[in-house]
Amino acid sequence: MKKIFAVALGVLTAIGGFVDIGDLVTNAVVGARFGMSLVWVVLVGVVGICLFAQMSGRVAAVSGRATFEIIRERLGPRIGGANLVASFFVTVLTLTAEIGGIALALELASSVERRLWIPFAGLAVWLVLWRVKFSVLENVTGLLGLTLVVFAVALFQLGPDWGELVDQAVRPTVPQGEGVPTYWYYAVALFGAAMTPYEVFFFSSGAREEKWTAKDVSQSRLNVLVGFPLGGLLSVAIAGCAAVVFLPREVDVTSLSQITLPVAMAGGKLLLALAILGIVAATFGAALETALSTGYTLAQFLGWSWGKYRRPAEATRFHTAMLVAVVVGTLVLLTNVDPIAVTEYSVVFSAIALPLTYLPILVVANDREYMGEHVNGRTTNALGLVYLVIIVVASLAAIPLMIATGAGG
Amino acid sequence: MLLSDLLDAPVRDSDGRALGYVVDVRLVLDGPLDGVLAAPRLHGLLVSPRTGTSFLGYERTDENSPALLARWLRHRHRGTFLVLWSDVVRPDHAPGPRDDEQAVTLRGGYHRWDPALPRP
Repeated sequence: MKKIFAVALGVLTAIGGFVDIGDLVTNAVVGARFGMSLVWVVLVGVVGICLFAQMSGRVAAVSGRATFEIIRERLGPRIGGANLVASFFVTVLTLTAEIGGIALALELASSVERRLWIPFAGLAVWLVLWRVKFSVLENVTGLLGLTLVVFAVALFQLGPDWGELVDQAVRPTVPQGEGVPTYWYYAVALFGAAMTPYEVFFFSSGAREEKWTAKDVSQSRLNVLVGFPLGGLLSVAIAGCAAVVFLPREVDVTSLSQITLPVAMAGGKLLLALAILGIVAATFGAALETALSTGYTLAQFLGWSWGKYRRPAEATRFHTAMLVAVVVGTLVLLTNVDPIAVTEYSVVFSAIALPLTYLPILVVANDREYMGEHVNGRTTNALGLVYLVIIVVASLAAIPLMIATGAGG
Repeated sequence: MLLSDLLDAPVRDSDGRALGYVVDVRLVLDGPLDGVLAAPRLHGLLVSPRTGTSFLGYERTDENSPALLARWLRHRHRGTFLVLWSDVVRPDHAPGPRDDEQAVTLRGGYHRWDPALPRP
């Protein structure tokens, strides 16, 4: 019974933890502009993150090495260092977006200016990082994040023309009035939103926090292979809501209130309240994960002691790094940048930085000296190589597309 | 001397011919106990003829998967060899012009060892 509970908890938190501000914003923006015609990218991204998370979790469980320890070891100090700078930058950018997301959601719930919420959100994130146990923070935010399922409920309540939605999804075309480069720019953004690098830093370091061993590999595989695709369905539901409400009216999504509008239209105040709760939980959970990831990456690269399982006094530099990252993110938001814009950039930069972490993990997952019998099988490797190509192409295409389209114009 | 003085440094033989770049160093743990581990000793340098980029560990073992990746990296690093540290003329003893300071020079009659590690 206890085991079933553990499995269920793992799967549920994987679903609730899948969606973050990047998925929310990008899916809604894309749904409003392109309907369901980019759903295939979510599918590609979800399979990719399953593959990547499953490999890095297995490497961490079996070899006891988290992602950045491996990057440091395989790439050496110079390329590894460049890798650290890029990954750290993207993670802090994502953290900034998540804290902004918390503030936007609280603004929506309270009608109090988001700029007043930002310092509070930053402080709350830091306090939880400082005081709350790893398993508690992961499970609570993951389970509360499940309330985002109201987007799926709302989609049914809106009573869309399902044939039309499915048609957009299976026969994707670039809608009139949108350029082909813009379509592909958003394809890269959506891919980056599904496959953000921090998820992997967090996942592999979390395996160490929870002291996984080779015995836990099958449990972690189940969490990922069931939880992430169901989380991906939530992403699709968010895009679907936007496609039903905004696409016919030719309205662009530029704010969080617009993202939740379909939910309010379909289910009124109660459903809206649940959606806001889900968004707060999802962004708060992701803010914790990204903040932890900044500490993990730095500490693992530089050989500091790290982990929530150590008391802060035993991992001072790790905790200081997280504090600094949270403060930087909060200060950036206080300059009055739009958190939605920060989010849109963060997902594209995620796609750009992805090959840097993906390649070393793919290589080490094949190393028998580290992995023993738990090396990648043939199928995983075949898929792994296909995704290496996809990830590199998306990364190389991102900046030219960004310039050509004026960041999505 | 720091590790970063060696990594990426060009390697020459005693006649000044370019042999490649240092891509890694190999340490042996056989010194006196230093805490819980034996103190490491520098055993040798891995020299790759064409590129100073990472070999991602494929030089250590006969690991061959994922096949395309392994083949590509092996091809880029074909001819990689191990030279013992005793075959290296210490950079501070190396003769030659000052702009050559960064280069690693090998003794005449140095031996090219296989970079693979024996399986335990």
